[in-house]
Amino acid sequence: MTWITRARVDRRRVLRGLGAAVALPLLDAMVPAATALAQTPALPRRRFGAVFIPNGAIMEQWTPAGAGEGFDLSPTLAPLAPHRASLAVVTNLTRANPGVVEGDHAISAAGWLSGVYPKRTEAEDVRNGTTIDQALAAVIGQQTPFPSLELATTDFTGYVGACTSGFSCAYTNTISWSSPTTPLPMEINPRVVFERMFGRPGTDEERARRRTRTRSILDLVREQAVELQGNLGPADRGRLSDYLDNVREIERRIQRTEQFNAGQVRSMDLPIGIPESFEEHLGLMYDLLTVAWQTDLTRVFTFMTDRELSQRTYPWIGVTEQHHTVSHHGNDPANIEKVATINAYHAAQFARFLDRLRQTPDGDGSLLDHALIVYGGGMGNPNQHASDPLPIVAVGGALGARSRHLLLPRRTPVGNLWLTVAQRFGAEVPSFGDSTGTIDLF
Amino acid sequence: MTNVASAVLLTGACVAVLASQGHPLRAQAPSAGPTADAVIASYCVTCHNARTRTGDLSLEGFALAHLADGSRSEVGEKVLRRLRAGSMPPPGVRRPDAAVLRTVESEMVAALDGAELRNPQPGRALLRRLNRAEYANAIRDLLALEVDASALVPPDNAAFGFDNIAEVLGVSPSLQERYLSAAESVAALAVGDTAAPAEEHTYTIRQDVSQDTHLDGLPFGTLGGARIRHTFPLDGEYEFQVRLYRSNLGMMRGLQLLHPFELAVDGAPVHAATVGGAADLDAAFDKPTDAGDAIDRRLSTRARVSAGPRDVTLAFTEVAAPLDTVRLRPFLKSAQDTLDWTGRPHIQSVTIRGPFGATRPGDTPSRRRLFSCRPGPGLSETACARQILSALARRAYRQPVAPSDMRRVMAMYAEGRREGTFESGVQRALQFVLASPRFIFRAEHEPAGAPGGRFRIDDLELASQLSFFLWSSIPDDALLQAATRGQLAEPRTLEAQVRRMLADPRASAIVTNFVGQWLQLRNIRTLQPNSDDFPDFDDNLRTAFRRETELLFQSLIDEDRSVLDLLTADYTFVNERLARHYGIPGVYGSDFRRVPVPDERRRGVLGHGGILAITSHATRTSPVLRGKWVLENVLGSPPPPPPPNVPALKENEKGRPARTMREQLAEHRANPACASCHRIMDPIGFALENFDPVGAWRATEGGRPIDASGELADGAVVDGVVGLRQALLQRPERFVGAMVEKLMIYALGRGLTHHDMPAVRQIVRDAAAQQYRFSALVLGVVRSTPFQTRTRTLAPAASHRAE
Repeated sequence: MTWITRARVDRRRVLRGLGAAVALPLLDAMVPAATALAQTPALPRRRFGAVFIPNGAIMEQWTPAGAGEGFDLSPTLAPLAPHRASLAVVTNLTRANPGVVEGDHAISAAGWLSGVYPKRTEAEDVRNGTTIDQALAAVIGQQTPFPSLELATTDFTGYVGACTSGFSCAYTNTISWSSPTTPLPMEINPRVVFERMFGRPGTDEERARRRTRTRSILDLVREQAVELQGNLGPADRGRLSDYLDNVREIERRIQRTEQFNAGQVRSMDLPIGIPESFEEHLGLMYDLLTVAWQTDLTRVFTFMTDRELSQRTYPWIGVTEQHHTVSHHGNDPANIEKVATINAYHAAQFARFLDRLRQTPDGDGSLLDHALIVYGGGMGNPNQHASDPLPIVAVGGALGARSRHLLLPRRTPVGNLWLTVAQRFGAEVPSFGDSTGTIDLF
Repeated sequence: MTNVASAVLLTGACVAVLASQGHPLRAQAPSAGPTADAVIASYCVTCHNARTRTGDLSLEGFALAHLADGSRSEVGEKVLRRLRAGSMPPPGVRRPDAAVLRTVESEMVAALDGAELRNPQPGRALLRRLNRAEYANAIRDLLALEVDASALVPPDNAAFGFDNIAEVLGVSPSLQERYLSAAESVAALAVGDTAAPAEEHTYTIRQDVSQDTHLDGLPFGTLGGARIRHTFPLDGEYEFQVRLYRSNLGMMRGLQLLHPFELAVDGAPVHAATVGGAADLDAAFDKPTDAGDAIDRRLSTRARVSAGPRDVTLAFTEVAAPLDTVRLRPFLKSAQDTLDWTGRPHIQSVTIRGPFGATRPGDTPSRRRLFSCRPGPGLSETACARQILSALARRAYRQPVAPSDMRRVMAMYAEGRREGTFESGVQRALQFVLASPRFIFRAEHEPAGAPGGRFRIDDLELASQLSFFLWSSIPDDALLQAATRGQLAEPRTLEAQVRRMLADPRASAIVTNFVGQWLQLRNIRTLQPNSDDFPDFDDNLRTAFRRETELLFQSLIDEDRSVLDLLTADYTFVNERLARHYGIPGVYGSDFRRVPVPDERRRGVLGHGGILAITSHATRTSPVLRGKWVLENVLGSPPPPPPPNVPALKENEKGRPARTMREQLAEHRANPACASCHRIMDPIGFALENFDPVGAWRATEGGRPIDASGELADGAVVDGVVGLRQALLQRPERFVGAMVEKLMIYALGRGLTHHDMPAVRQIVRDAAAQQYRFSALVLGVVRSTPFQTRTRTLAPAASHRAE
């Protein structure tokens, strides 16, 4: 018998703090306990996150009525009402090459955070732009063990052939690119994320020994890779130098982890694996992101709540049709309503994440007070794969107290948003993707 | 068959003539000039001219001579592909008669093949990272250790339909970290590191597994449950924590009756308990959560287990069926969401945690494999370690180990030895070997020479390419030895090795990895038909769908059958669940067996439920998706992506007479932008309309009889799956060609270019003489120029241009 191993996580055990370790006595020693507040530095940190939704949105139900500060939250965004004080709905952004729908779903995922129209290619020479999260990681991510975290929920190995034809699957499988040619893989398994962040089970000493061992292995790995490079063709030599760069990056990470270890915060137990329920999976990934920020393991994340072209069904909210199929709604009111229901559902899950961030103290405020999170995607009306207007919301204390509906001129490049964000976070870039200027976000 | 054979001979002869004379056109058509030039000028240029550029293609001024000199080969291959699929000239447009089109085809083939033969341009040498499946298989073959790769390393990006494509198997810090930590876990598990911390693994049974019947692989006399292959790292005590499914009200199913439960390891019972009865039922009504927790605890246990891979089975023992619940069983699926029909408890998960109090590594297959010697009198620790590790590194690196590499391995051994025992030294060295780039990457080196020149990959690289193709794994000793001795250049040795490898159980990797992706069987596990419309659909059926097609393909490999049997086989593999779905009588039990398929409509993969279901939507069939699947996988002529702004089909509206799928699609094809492709795709899909979205046979839809008739692109009129299959097999070389293309992509780990197509055609022609036996296709690929040779790229990209 062959069968899929999945694991279920008991949500009741999540986020209960130190006392919850009873169920997993073995793992008790995994992370040294410390109190959250005592270890929190006085200076608030700046953080950035991007949460992606696939297959576009019904913009009529997304876009608020009215502009400026006196706007009414739309039906889709209604779940975000508790966070209205620091929320900006940004309307009329477009992905690169407005009006061009070729490559549609691939561009939506790959071009959202890059502001670039990725090169049409199936395999070799994928080319996008460096995404905003990575541009910011270079500025605010260098002091933390992880410059950034990339998470997703969909195991794409069950979707053979489900990529935009003519465009490499790499464009659809991730929204984060560390360089125009390097897509960053996204992790879907909560347990793997947890173990990457907090290390595998063991005492402090064991983990210190493990780091030393890994270091000496990496020394020899590097030697061998250099030797291997010798007789390769030029293209492959380049790939091995990427590999060597990564070895150095891992070494840096080990070093940062050592400095960091002094005061960790523990507020979550080891997750068992990928839950069968999508809602639990989403919730767990959001929990992990909360903890990652809380412990200052990273200050930058990207989270793809689901993959473009997703054929997920949502029977528990009454949508038994497949998401992508129904997103080509053909202007049928019933289909439109189903897509809007999915959009509102995701907004509600996102709102719960924001709740948690706001409840988690950080310096003189909360995690949410010191963050900017952008929520949305790279496709507008999914029926025709519209390049604009895009569904995009920005939220967090980084905006100040300027809650509003920012109604931009039609087809403002999404790069303008990222340029504005990059400059706000101190990245010295003259332009971003297809940007033509900045917008009045902050 | 005779026709095919003579056509093959003819084309073969053309190539020979071309090669010797270098004046193909004169040989082919001495007086009037090539038919192709005239036909293209009068039939194709009407649309494909410099002004309109329909489909972004102009054939103005096109001449066969441009194929013979290689200047327009790429365009030529595109044209040829459309001609062969019969999709050009498009339906409804004036076209020459079939015999003329055939002549055009063979002229083009001769010119294209001749050009490539004179100046072959294989791909460049490639650096390939082991993908997830290859990594797991390599660990298995190296260390006799079964690991769940999905828990160790991330999934891989795919391109051209496969996840072993060199160019997209990237590296990133997080990916390299995963390979590093996998090396650590695997080394600890293989050696049996007593200092390794206890771990826990949770195995979950999908909620839609029907657990009211006996499941394949479980002891007879049991119902439901699961069999888990788990590797216990050490001799020691392990905790087994079992959970049952609960309804949304927190109730467990089937508490009305007594259900004996048993947990066994390798068939030996380690725990028994009973669920249900008056006490449990009362407690559950009183406090469902507490009662449920108590029952879960009752099923859980701690037991001593010896190290090694073991089968853990957990299930309920069959008791006399509660009659009243059998009556209340409206569907084959035993549980509708969280409601209960069957009066049977359902197992949700088991967590295996441990070891506790372990002191010994135990006698495991991996230790037996690894520790080929023991230090003792006459054999120093270092000498024994060197013996163990040089054999290990040779297999892992797939080549004789260079002194510099051996020095590194022994340095790691020494470091581990200093901190612990002889075994910790071996473990550390093993960890390094598994983390090292020589293991994780397959490299092909470029010998020095002029850029643009061609060279043959060396025997060791060929051996690796062969074993990763056929086994998705590292070469074994026999293959490595043949390569080291330089014997693979000898055609008979190469063939003998291929045949030996195909007969090996490891060749099932072709089924799981190649077929799983080519025919998209991997997508079966994400099938989610609407449960209101298909209340019988459960995971048991899902699993059976995949098994059926896998077993059919495995039988082609094992019996070296014709690959045409994939479409025509008069047998298949079913268990009781699948037989009921198909209406095949007399099949009982959960195990799969070979059965004859007298009903022609069910023969071959076009009658396989899995294929029909993955090409359907959740609520309805999709003639479009099915047509596309056939065009791509059977005819090798995938349609271009749809143009933008295409509205989806409207669902039937309430109060209006229901439209059939055919009527709905007719609206679609009325749009000229859609028609050019849909006139090709849709009729193929229509012919399969008698199969519903889960592949069950149906005579009506929405109260109206199914109309499965249609006119294919080449004018053939078919009605139903049988006629469709006959039409597809009219020219079997089209299907075989499509399959060989996919096989080549998979074998080479790259997309094909027009330079590869002559080799594809050569393989198909050669295989025709052997009735398209599977081994003939595989041998054809292995012997081909793209498989064995490379173009040198040491100079900048300019060398890619034709000489």
